[in-house]
Amino acid sequence: MYLPLIKIKMAPKFQIKVFQISSFLKNFTIISIVSLSFLLIFFSKSDLYILNGIKNISTSVIIPITRFISAPVNVFSNFVDEYKQFRSLKFENKILQEEIIRLKKWQTLAIQNSRENKVLKKLLNATDNNLTLVKTASLINRNDTIYTKLINLNAGYEDKIKKNMSAINERGLVGKVIDTTSNNSRVILLTDPNLAISVKTISDGIFSMLTGNGDGKYLVSSFVKENKMPRLGDIVVTSGTAQIFPVDLLVGKVAKVEKNRFFVLPFVDFTNIDYVQIVNSN
Amino acid sequence: MEFTKFLNSSFKLNIILIISFSISVNSFILFPNINNAFYILFHLTLIYLIFYHYHYYLYVVALIYGILFDILLLNNIGAHLITFLSLLILFILLRKYLIRLSSYQIIFIYFITLIILLLIEQFLANVLHNYKINMSSFFNFLLISLIIFIPTVFLFTKLDK
Repeated sequence: MYLPLIKIKMAPKFQIKVFQISSFLKNFTIISIVSLSFLLIFFSKSDLYILNGIKNISTSVIIPITRFISAPVNVFSNFVDEYKQFRSLKFENKILQEEIIRLKKWQTLAIQNSRENKVLKKLLNATDNNLTLVKTASLINRNDTIYTKLINLNAGYEDKIKKNMSAINERGLVGKVIDTTSNNSRVILLTDPNLAISVKTISDGIFSMLTGNGDGKYLVSSFVKENKMPRLGDIVVTSGTAQIFPVDLLVGKVAKVEKNRFFVLPFVDFTNIDYVQIVNSN
Repeated sequence: MEFTKFLNSSFKLNIILIISFSISVNSFILFPNINNAFYILFHLTLIYLIFYHYHYYLYVVALIYGILFDILLLNNIGAHLITFLSLLILFILLRKYLIRLSSYQIIFIYFITLIILLLIEQFLANVLHNYKINMSSFFNFLLISLIIFIPTVFLFTKLDK
């Protein structure tokens, strides 16, 4: 359905064809879209207002819509999960009873150690924990994909959450805040191959860098200082040398040692995160 | 009559596009392959729309989904947006050659386009944003593509009658 050609009438012999309106509009739209895309790509890493607006809309509007649309799959997934849990109930109950007995013994020991710790701290005049809790946030959804391993939280810069703050839970370090909008923030998980953390072992103080292994389970060393390999079962904590993560946050346990690298099994169960605490180093 | 038919199947394909997008950006821990399967289904639907239902509105569709995929999966705009728009522009340039091909050849090109698209997205994510190329995940994508390709084509041809 093309509109007729626009013609400029001059002298009877001179009729100049200017353009076809519809094709001009189509071409103009395509060129604008392509130009807009390149502008967005070009400025995507800057903190422009328009880009923050797009990110804000994506996390606060699009994610709830996509969650609503994908609700049937979510319900099915939850149903299967509950069925699996129900099947293993008896077995888990037995394990838990054994664990309760074991933990009671540990509790008595921990109370004794805690008392001793307090007394020793007083003697040494030592200061306490170096962490400040910024906000406890719950998980909205996760983007555990081929590219990244991210989680979205229901708290943003209005709750004083800023980029590069650490996310922890009761088991240890979860990840790092990489983006915040007014009411949402995104956390990159430790298991993401694109995140590197500087760590040390508690026993020997061996410094190294860890990244995600890509399988979502283990962390693998990308650099080990002076090529000193830790021992199997050594506990790994953040070293604080890169000044991104606070010092001494629990990361995991050395699970496998090879010639030039070692694997760490994180303490945090990344498949079961509901709440995280955003903390800042003092 | 023809136009309503076109509108009908095009509308259905767009609904599939929305559903597959929604499921692919929400991860399900128990079934990670569901996300991957719907991510591939999204690509298959988009390529099918471009090949068989080409219209100028697809530029807007590519722009919106490209930005959303990039922000939600990569946290940076680039890889998906460039890939989707390049596919549209390439299709315009190669359309006259594609028309001459037989249906089997088109199906083959359809599959190859899907694989190239997935590869280019990973490559661009690596070049633009320094994300690591994960070949094991790519082979997982390849396997899922091989499984769902024929049923998807069958479904789409049924939708198109």
